[in-house]
Amino acid sequence: MNLQYSGEEKIPVSPAAVLAFVNDPGKVGHCFPEVVDVTVQDPTHFESIVKVGVGPVRGTLKLKIELLPDPSLRRIDMKIAGGGFGSAVDLTAGADIVDAGDGTTILKWSGQAVARGPIAAVGGRVLDAQAQKLIAQAFANVRQQLSG
Amino acid sequence: MSIQAKPLHSVGVPMKRKEDPRFIQGKGHYVDDLSFPGMLYLSLVRSTYPHAEIRSIDITEALKVPGVKAVITGKDLEAAGLGWLPTFHGFDKQMVLAIGKVLFQYQEVAAVFAETRAAAVDGAEAVQVDYAPLPVVADPFTSKADKVLLRPDRESKTNRIFHWEVGDKDGAARALASSARRIKQRVWFQRCHPAPLEPCGCVAYFDTMGRLQFHVTSQAPHVYRTALALVTGIAEDKIHVISPDLGGGFGNKVPVYPGYVCAIVGALKIGRPVKWIETRTENLTSTGFARDYHMDVEIGATADGRVTALRVATTADHGAFDAAADPSRYPAGIFGIVTGSYDFPVAYAEVDAFFTNKAPGGIAYRCSFRVTEASYAIERGMDILADELGIDAAELRRKNFIRKDQFPYPSALGFTYDSGDYHKTLDVALERIGYDALLKEQAEKRARGELMGIGLSTFTEVVGAGPSKHFDILGIRMFDSAEIRIHPTGAGIVRTGTKSQGQGHETTWAQIVAEELGLDAGAIMVEEGDTDTAPYGLGTYASRSTPVAGAAITMAARRIREKARKIAAHLLEAGEADVEWTDYRFQVKGVPARSVTMKEVAFAAYTNMAQNEPGLEATYYYDPPNMTYPNGAYVAVVDVDRETGEVKVRRFVAVDDCGTVINPMIVEGQIHGGLTEGFAMAFIQEIQYDAEGNNLSTNFTDYLVPTSLETPHWETAGTVTPSPHHPMGAKGVGESPNVGSPAAFVNAVVDALSPLGVRHIDMPMTRDKVWRAIRDAESTKG
Repeated sequence: MNLQYSGEEKIPVSPAAVLAFVNDPGKVGHCFPEVVDVTVQDPTHFESIVKVGVGPVRGTLKLKIELLPDPSLRRIDMKIAGGGFGSAVDLTAGADIVDAGDGTTILKWSGQAVARGPIAAVGGRVLDAQAQKLIAQAFANVRQQLSG
Repeated sequence: MSIQAKPLHSVGVPMKRKEDPRFIQGKGHYVDDLSFPGMLYLSLVRSTYPHAEIRSIDITEALKVPGVKAVITGKDLEAAGLGWLPTFHGFDKQMVLAIGKVLFQYQEVAAVFAETRAAAVDGAEAVQVDYAPLPVVADPFTSKADKVLLRPDRESKTNRIFHWEVGDKDGAARALASSARRIKQRVWFQRCHPAPLEPCGCVAYFDTMGRLQFHVTSQAPHVYRTALALVTGIAEDKIHVISPDLGGGFGNKVPVYPGYVCAIVGALKIGRPVKWIETRTENLTSTGFARDYHMDVEIGATADGRVTALRVATTADHGAFDAAADPSRYPAGIFGIVTGSYDFPVAYAEVDAFFTNKAPGGIAYRCSFRVTEASYAIERGMDILADELGIDAAELRRKNFIRKDQFPYPSALGFTYDSGDYHKTLDVALERIGYDALLKEQAEKRARGELMGIGLSTFTEVVGAGPSKHFDILGIRMFDSAEIRIHPTGAGIVRTGTKSQGQGHETTWAQIVAEELGLDAGAIMVEEGDTDTAPYGLGTYASRSTPVAGAAITMAARRIREKARKIAAHLLEAGEADVEWTDYRFQVKGVPARSVTMKEVAFAAYTNMAQNEPGLEATYYYDPPNMTYPNGAYVAVVDVDRETGEVKVRRFVAVDDCGTVINPMIVEGQIHGGLTEGFAMAFIQEIQYDAEGNNLSTNFTDYLVPTSLETPHWETAGTVTPSPHHPMGAKGVGESPNVGSPAAFVNAVVDALSPLGVRHIDMPMTRDKVWRAIRDAESTKG
């Protein structure tokens, strides 16, 4: 099941601060909703364990995340692959870091996911909305962390 | 000496099922009820990807899970020469555990053995598999292009599994071209699953003699024994297969599945009993599916509705391995029955089968090897032709039926139909449903804009494989067997090579013996499913039990009767030639007062047999000279809600002709069950995959099983035209309602929507699909 999402967050800090945050695995790793554990392997790789509940399918996903910083310093991409409870998720997510001109930053994010297994089997009913909610929550958490 | 007041009829009596008291009291004995000291549990790691290279399998964490004793992978099995197992018809092989790559979602990848079921599941969850996704082929039409080669392990570098054809290709083409009228329609019989209430499972262990004791949910235990000997290299005498009570099978429990092989390997490797019971999801996603035939049906006819030719071209989706349980000479099963009940002068059928990234299968789900697909194709085709010609659907069928005086009837596609009276069967059905009144009601409703439909299906199926000269599984010819022993008191035991999954063999077989020997059916025990005690047989599927094993029982009983005649002659102090079997006893010809019962003869066989061989038992291996051809006429009446698309099946009349009926109550029960399955396929069931190869029907909230609330009320009746070659005239009935009913439902719904211009709807006819058909038709009409 292929899923596509997009949205944006206005963050009350400078683009440089946002860029530093999203390029730090130890920080961005904790922005996933229902995160249980984050293990940083190197500056661009970390593993995260998150709880997922989609309709009747509930369990723990182990995710391998690779950060892909953009040389322009105006964008961050990441590849997320993982699985659990007989399901698999491959996600690519990216965000343009846009200077709003008033000392704040607009994070324009988009992502696409491929889900397989029981988690995909419920897709026709609730996965799409649930995944949108989870991804939006992750970027909202970035805003919240930076706002604090 | 005794005189019986009344004949002891057993055949034709609605005897209550002998097996039911234990089932309804919860005393059935199923594989999952078994427990042995030290027993381990097996859980399978399954692929989350439909098509992917396996980069690595890391079992380190799994082995750390408390209770996990061992983990095996495809490489382990390959090293032991057990990496692949042959599919039943012998054209293909299937990975036991994935080697190198996975080919369908939920494919078996690794096996985890643990002290508890929970630990095994936890261990399976801890196995880390690194996959590299490959392009997915999710339908046979994409597969046909060969842009992605799914099975490089095969010599043939194409996704096409086989091309099969039968009939007169050129003749059919010429006849179609010259026909005054002609219809063509693609119909798809969607992928379904038998979904028995008890999923598949086994317990395997090696006893103190080093003999494999294998308890398994199998419809064909003897074939399993041979197949396991071939796959594992264990000598066949060192394998004991026991198939206990089964909670349904419907064809799903014919193939040998990877879990069985893994359980045996685990038991051998660890030295402890291993139990494997699959989950509902595993059953729906990895074991034998049914159907998935895309059929292009063409019928030619004269202007007044006489059929002139039939041509059917089928594209079949067989999934990742060719595990269709078809006889080896018939890769498309008995699809050649597609001419149905009609007298086609010429016909041609072809089937092209393809691999896809879906679960393997194509098993005979309550049908005799693709007969349901064939029946659906021709019955839809005939209705479309009737619509095209503006002829009443019943009248068109009547005009083209094979006549009673044409039997034995050689069909254009090579079958010899044994018997039938199709006109009579249809007449009974139409009279029961009140056809003329319904047509009048329908006309009135149509005038008011209401949607009411009447759907017919006048099917013929073909069951009872062998003959052995035509049919085999893994080279084992298809016959069946019976062994009968009559004890001194007149009680007895019957053992056969078949295996009931709920069909009621314990009652039906006892009735046959009772009928043939004049004994009490209540005192005849039936035992099946134990390869150490039952004679070799090919099992129960494809409605073959009564046509083949039932015939073997009859013939074995008649052998006993011949032996008993000698003892009776001794008891009656008469020459053997002067003793006749009449009114269920032996009597001296012309002297009814001088007679003995079989019960008395049985006692004498052990106590007073004179010079005759002691005992009273016989074995018979029956090789049928032909298949049998049950048939029926079904009529469905539906009302369709124009606003919501909801279909209400108002009435359904099923008139079946299965030849001689042994137990009418069991036959009626079979028909009720099969009609309910047909209803489910017609309206709610489909194993759905998305374009990425994800299985979307993994549980009973997505793959629906009708309850009594949804199931219509069934009205049943019958006609009897005995099979001329079966010793009792029986034909088999278990599959008829499943074979015949889907077309009746679809024909009824399409008939209801035909005033809107709707010509066809593929199953399942969900409310949503019917609503869209109505909406699209209305918007087209403006």
